[in-house]
Amino acid sequence: MRPTANRRTSDLATTIFCWTAAVLTMLAVLAVMGFLLYRGAGTLGPNLFFGETHWWEAVRGVRPVFDGLWSALAGTALLVLLSCLLAVPTGIAGGIYLSEYGSRRFRAVAGFAVDLMAGIPSIVMGLFGFSLIVVLRHTFVPRAKTGLLLAAVCIALLVLPYLVRTTQNALAGLPSHLRLLGPSLGFTPWQNIRHVLLPSAGRGILSGVILAMGRAAEDTAVILLTGAVAQAFLPRSLYDKFEALPFRIYYMAAEHRTAAELDQAFGTALVLLMLTGTLFGLAFAAQRTMEKRWKG
Amino acid sequence: MQKKLIRCGTVTLLMAILLTIPAWAGSLKSFADLQGTLDIAGGTAHIPVMNEAAKRIMTANPKIRITVTGGGTGIGVQKAGEGLVDIGNTGRALSAEEVARFGLRSFAFAVDGVAPVVHSDNPVAGLSVQQVRDIFAGRITHWQAVGGPDAAIHVYGREEASGTHEVFWKKLLNKETVVGSANIIQSNGAMKVAVSRDIYAIGYMSIGHIDDSVKPLAVDGVLPSQATAIDGTYPAVRQLYMNTKGDPKPLARAFIDYILSAEGAGIIRAAGYIPLQ
Amino acid sequence: MDGAKLMPHLLRAAALACTAAAGGILLVLIYLVLPLFTSGGWGSVIAWQWLPFQGRFGILPMVVGTLLIALGALAVATPLAVGVACFVQVLAPGRIKGICLALVHYMTSIPTVIYGFVSIFLLVPLIRQWFDRGTGFSLATATIVLSLLILPTIVLVLQATLRELDRSARVTCAALGFSRPAYIRHVLLPLCRRGLLAAVVLGFGRAVGDTLISLMLAGNAPMVPASPLDATRTLTAHIALVVATDSQSTFYHSVFAAGLILFLVMVLIQLILRRLGGTFTP
Repeated sequence: MRPTANRRTSDLATTIFCWTAAVLTMLAVLAVMGFLLYRGAGTLGPNLFFGETHWWEAVRGVRPVFDGLWSALAGTALLVLLSCLLAVPTGIAGGIYLSEYGSRRFRAVAGFAVDLMAGIPSIVMGLFGFSLIVVLRHTFVPRAKTGLLLAAVCIALLVLPYLVRTTQNALAGLPSHLRLLGPSLGFTPWQNIRHVLLPSAGRGILSGVILAMGRAAEDTAVILLTGAVAQAFLPRSLYDKFEALPFRIYYMAAEHRTAAELDQAFGTALVLLMLTGTLFGLAFAAQRTMEKRWKG
Repeated sequence: MQKKLIRCGTVTLLMAILLTIPAWAGSLKSFADLQGTLDIAGGTAHIPVMNEAAKRIMTANPKIRITVTGGGTGIGVQKAGEGLVDIGNTGRALSAEEVARFGLRSFAFAVDGVAPVVHSDNPVAGLSVQQVRDIFAGRITHWQAVGGPDAAIHVYGREEASGTHEVFWKKLLNKETVVGSANIIQSNGAMKVAVSRDIYAIGYMSIGHIDDSVKPLAVDGVLPSQATAIDGTYPAVRQLYMNTKGDPKPLARAFIDYILSAEGAGIIRAAGYIPLQ
Repeated sequence: MDGAKLMPHLLRAAALACTAAAGGILLVLIYLVLPLFTSGGWGSVIAWQWLPFQGRFGILPMVVGTLLIALGALAVATPLAVGVACFVQVLAPGRIKGICLALVHYMTSIPTVIYGFVSIFLLVPLIRQWFDRGTGFSLATATIVLSLLILPTIVLVLQATLRELDRSARVTCAALGFSRPAYIRHVLLPLCRRGLLAAVVLGFGRAVGDTLISLMLAGNAPMVPASPLDATRTLTAHIALVVATDSQSTFYHSVFAAGLILFLVMVLIQLILRRLGGTFTP
């Protein structure tokens, strides 16, 4: 099998093509991050977060922050927290059931529904939330408004399928000797799950939870329709409108009045990128240790 | 530069006057016993006025929370009508149908013109009404046809539900449809940014939002400004409204009164509009 | 031990809730679109002109805009993704493989709003300068950025397939004297057709569903673009723009029609993925 000249050219072309694709992709990502760093790094500082307001007063919510991203950061944090409170227990429980209890038929139907949910565009989820409020106002809850709670519910629906799937996959990936350990000790199926399987799959599930948090923090389309506004400060109840980092970036990209405000927007984008980057790093690490443990 | 200095000077002077006359500061006191949340949405020409008023009120009384967001006139009608916000702003008078359907009450507070704008480096300084219509209808597509640079015209427009769009479309474009390829911008603030970043752009926006980064075009020799708007020589003029569903609740009432007060007039003027009082 | 007995039921309830949510969303959408069926409003929605104040509510331009942007993004992203996946699985030297794979994973976590934001200041001015047509906010701009967004989805699904194939075929092919590039061309790529198809379908779904990139970069003109440098509007951007505008009867229902179309596209995509077998959630 002596390679002919023709083959050698094809080989070279293939190699060049693959390398180019990889290098191009890397460059594109580095360009995005580099540009953000270049334009945004200079703005990082207490001023970016709290503007003219004293930081302690801002954190306690005594005084509103006018030129800083503090309220947006707090809004995003609250949104992530709330939506995870709603989605994490349901998602993990649903994942456990699908992996350990469900019949084949149920698994197929529910699996389809979950995959479908994962595919629903976030703007449609936002539209769903928004119309839900309009319908509710005309029927049972005339005082219903768009706000933090509604946004959290919609985001929870958005991340739910990820949680179900990662839980299911983490459990399914456990070696079978673990699966037999509980029954051999006389455990009920639930005891086996509770004391053997869940602790072993914990890191995989954790990585799913963190990824879901990242997804909740970055989504813009849902909150666009369900209660994020340009200026709101810290929400004081679940029904208040709120600020959020991604919405602030979207808004300021189009509406900056001065060069200083544009710099703020770059700073905000950098903060959001660092936030999602950190969450990603944590999830990645959790996933890696999980894989090392069970797959060798 | 000089213009800006003068404007800055006027604003500072105005604020100094406002601060030194205690009788005027009184209207902020009416918020002293109030608390709660006031949600404002809609017309984007209004935003600078709303934001500044909100900032002053919240600084004076941190118990009050005022949220301000845009969306445009359409959303102002819709959200106020559905009761999703307390005050819905519009850049045009409500139609009889809208008033009847939602039971809205309107409070006009300022006069504003809508002007065609270009990038500040664009040599074109004025157009005839017909040229404006031809450009926005897509019949003139090149700047050279109107004495400008050798480049295609980049048309920026607004959604049909925008109050700014409606006024411009009715009073300057003579209800001719804007060319379909126009980029759709979502607010007055965004229009200013879009035009100021594109040297071959043309768009239209609230005169109050115009600053050094964009240049208003004279139409048939009349330079759009709040002065020519109010004396009637510039045609595309409208009033800015705040709307509430039924009679405003106490906090909304206080807010509207504040905007309509002498101090409110100062804010309106500083934002580039002419107060109605 | 009552609690323990209760547990399976609780878990079941949760699983049912997840399933019911998908159905619930579909039902709400259908309920809101119903008036279009009863009033015969579909005729005005399935049309080519969007001039709501003149009674024209056509969303077909947005359907075409969505398809063009999504297919364009696939056309750019698929070859790149094949290259990256093969690079990672076969050609990359040890350390670089790890870095490259981590980077692709990392890409999935970059917020879409950041892609849109950076492109406004980086890509849009370039497109405007390079080509003597349009504002820079165009089909082409949105397509390029969107391809970057869907790239990791395609790479990761494809690479998972390649990894399985590679495990079983690598040694044999090496023994047969295949060079590594030839191994990619003649063995891996032909064998991974199914995985590639699944990856592309998933990428398509991701592209159709994205809002922020097209909203921020495509110019949002409600028309079928005549050139890649013209502005256009996607269904998702249309929803974002119009929900935030008005709620007059047909005006409003056209938004739900857009939502329903998007939902049904996702159902279709899931059905195709089922036919291809296996689950391909990235």
